[in-house]
Amino acid sequence: MSAAAPALELHDVTVAYGRRPVLWNVDLSVDAPGLFGIIGPNGAGKSTLLKAALGLVPLAGGTVRFFGRPLAEVRGRIGYVPQRETVDWDFPVSVLDVVLMGTYGGLGWFRRPGAAQREAARAALDRVGLADLAGRQIGRLSGGQQQRVFLARALVQAADLYLLDEPLAGVDARSQDRIFRVLDELRSEGRLVVVVHHDLRTAAEWFDGVALVDMRLVAAGPVAAVLTPENLHRTYAGHLDVLDELGRAVERGGRTS
Amino acid sequence: MNLVPGSEGGFAALHAWAIATAAVVAAGCALVGTLLVVRRMSLLGDAISHAVLPGIVLAVLAGGRPGGFAVLGGAVVAAVVTVLLVQALRSEGGVAEDAGTGVVFTTLFAVGVVLASALARRIDLDPSCVLYGVLEFVPFDTVAVAGLEVPRAFLTGVVVLGLVGAGLAATWKDQVFAAFDAEAARAVGVPVAAVTTGLLAATALVTVASFEAVGAILVVAMLVVPAAAAELLVRRLAWMAVVAVVLGVAAACLGYMAAYRLDTSAAGMIAVVLGLEYAVAAIVAPEDGVLARGAARARLAWRVRCEDLLARLWRADEARAGPPAATGPGDWAAAAWLRVSGRIVRDGDRWGLTAPGRAEAETVVRSHRLWEAWLGRHVELPLDHLHPPAEWIEHHLGADVRRRIEAEVGGEESDPHGRAIPRERGRPNA
Repeated sequence: MSAAAPALELHDVTVAYGRRPVLWNVDLSVDAPGLFGIIGPNGAGKSTLLKAALGLVPLAGGTVRFFGRPLAEVRGRIGYVPQRETVDWDFPVSVLDVVLMGTYGGLGWFRRPGAAQREAARAALDRVGLADLAGRQIGRLSGGQQQRVFLARALVQAADLYLLDEPLAGVDARSQDRIFRVLDELRSEGRLVVVVHHDLRTAAEWFDGVALVDMRLVAAGPVAAVLTPENLHRTYAGHLDVLDELGRAVERGGRTS
Repeated sequence: MNLVPGSEGGFAALHAWAIATAAVVAAGCALVGTLLVVRRMSLLGDAISHAVLPGIVLAVLAGGRPGGFAVLGGAVVAAVVTVLLVQALRSEGGVAEDAGTGVVFTTLFAVGVVLASALARRIDLDPSCVLYGVLEFVPFDTVAVAGLEVPRAFLTGVVVLGLVGAGLAATWKDQVFAAFDAEAARAVGVPVAAVTTGLLAATALVTVASFEAVGAILVVAMLVVPAAAAELLVRRLAWMAVVAVVLGVAAACLGYMAAYRLDTSAAGMIAVVLGLEYAVAAIVAPEDGVLARGAARARLAWRVRCEDLLARLWRADEARAGPPAATGPGDWAAAAWLRVSGRIVRDGDRWGLTAPGRAEAETVVRSHRLWEAWLGRHVELPLDHLHPPAEWIEHHLGADVRRRIEAEVGGEESDPHGRAIPRERGRPNA
């Protein structure tokens, strides 16, 4: 990792769904290694921030750089763990099949995952504590186990930067411990782990740095500097009706009241 | 159906060609349909199969032959236009995807019908053939391939099956990833849009190749039904594709032969056989089938009856009362089974628990009373509300959760009614 370029850098990023802006002018720069939390109320645009960084929703403005380079050049160094609810868990695949998907980005047409990929997938499953469930249909897993399968799918990429969307939402205590332990290991290995997180109580304890987001970036930096009563009040109590109303006005091409 | 009579051998060969054509197009449809079904895009298959009609009519008008490759191209273009229009309606007009699909495919289909009817004299295309197919007449429109007269529709079907099969083989892993989790697939660099467009083009190809055999309306059955049935039967996508192809081909063969016997529409009969296959799959499916669920319910009911009887005997002992009266033939059957399996003994006109029976009964009563204790602690319920849920939960508590509940209720000696909670088996009685 180059010393100069931060692992993740958003410059003046604005994101719109259709024409309605939902995230305004975010400047954010995070260095590796570390465990970094993105925190904010429901509908604040936390997940949107991750998706925009990954090019999954188009930017209305601004730029995103990873390790100082555009996404297309460093895709293989980035692992993404979407929210568990975004997929159909009755889909007819096994646990190992899902983890192997993490290797597909590096394979070309016609190439199937081989022994090396299987080995890596089993190692990733072992790391999240699911080695003995490799052959199981994914619908038979508990919510926490499903989340760990998603984590294993990202681990198999051996990325330098991990972006996780609510990996601890609705998981059992055992899965939560295991997931957190793996994220902690990733940090010790020198990687950057960015986590969208909803629980303020655990945030201060787990993360090195946090960003408070509510349709815009309220504050970002070390936990002690950011999680101040004033910043929290601005994030949670001061919901910006102006941004909301303005977004709707832009969407319909009119003016606010 | 009436076929032109010929010599005995020629007659059989005509049927064989018709069956082979139906089987080939059914295989292609089932393959593509598998991905459509797991992507929850079955309705789009329906839409495409209808919306390609104007593309076909225009291609024929431009000089293409029905079943020829120009027509296949026209159909693919129309399919892509359909999908683009649906997407445009959603993103620009804010129309919900299902409504947008309904608007686009019916409109395009209607345009196709109008065009085909208006131009009927100028072009060689019978709208009713497109709608219902003419499997029976497929063998009469042949082309020479390596000295063999091969029906044109069969040749088209084979070429399309080869194309689609090769295309899916090349992109299979990406198809699966895009189907399961499109966003994560895009994040690792899988070209999801191209993969999806490829699937839609494949849908258009197999649909058009099937038109002459089964028509625009019943091709939907070939796309969706074998895959939907296969999804009930197997749990892995690759196996699902294999089973869907087998079911599709089987329906093509059986449907054609049944139609010949009953002198009715071959396309209709093939779709009916597909429906029957689905019904059978829904009944015999190993996990969600009617039989499997019924058997699971019956097993549970039997276990509950046996456990309840054991628990009643145990409680009667505890209360130093006589053995409880049997309440019906179910009880007698359970008692007979418990005697045969060595858990109760008959002593004169009394039932008594054997050692294994007593251990099992204690587990049930322990589960019951632990659950009452847990509920009493965690949920504000009057005492008389505790028994009914425990009566149900006692059959579902395993040893591990029982221990956890016991740890939580602090090793209480008795349930909220003041009765002793039996100890876990394998530990000394207190």
